[in-house]
Amino acid sequence: MLLAYKLALASPRVTARGIEASEFAVEADRHGVHAVPAIVVDDRYAWAGAVPEAVFVERVLAAAAG
Amino acid sequence: MLGEREQDAIRSVLAGLEGDVDVKLELGPTATPVTLLAAGGREIDSNALTQEIVEAVCALSDRVSLSVVEHEEPGPWPRTTIGAGLEYLGMPAGYELTTLVHGILEAGRDAPALSAASLERLAAIDEDVAIDVYVTPT
Repeated sequence: MLLAYKLALASPRVTARGIEASEFAVEADRHGVHAVPAIVVDDRYAWAGAVPEAVFVERVLAAAAG
Repeated sequence: MLGEREQDAIRSVLAGLEGDVDVKLELGPTATPVTLLAAGGREIDSNALTQEIVEAVCALSDRVSLSVVEHEEPGPWPRTTIGAGLEYLGMPAGYELTTLVHGILEAGRDAPALSAASLERLAAIDEDVAIDVYVTPT
């Protein structure tokens, strides 16, 4: 979660939100979330699991481009 | 709400703030309500618990200012906004208390805490990107 926040602080183009999955279960289901942390980029499920900073950045950029 | 050890630990983290941070807490009826149960079957009031947590954390640093807004219309509440726009929807309880505390710390940094390589990649973004991270409090 903190990596997403760091990206948002580093770029005015990036916004970041943490969402508690059990409280927002309808939204989590809509995004196909079955495990946490789950990362959704531009309203599309991207991946689940913690990854190092460099991988996180590349995956976010790839998901945004895709 | 927070034990002495937790308060001391949070106070220590927030002592590292390099600037002032505004925190906004929005409360109200949830648009997609779910029933949350604590151990023993007691129903959890997400708004009330979130307010207790956020108020307790923000009170531990003079550099953190908290404003609370109560909505009548259903929405994605409780929503905590840290600084210019780091959002957290739901209760920042359990492990996610760390997210709240360190989110405040990050928002209060003079410069982003990312590697030069990451900053270079992010500088090349020419379209808006929205990241949602689903988490659980335990």
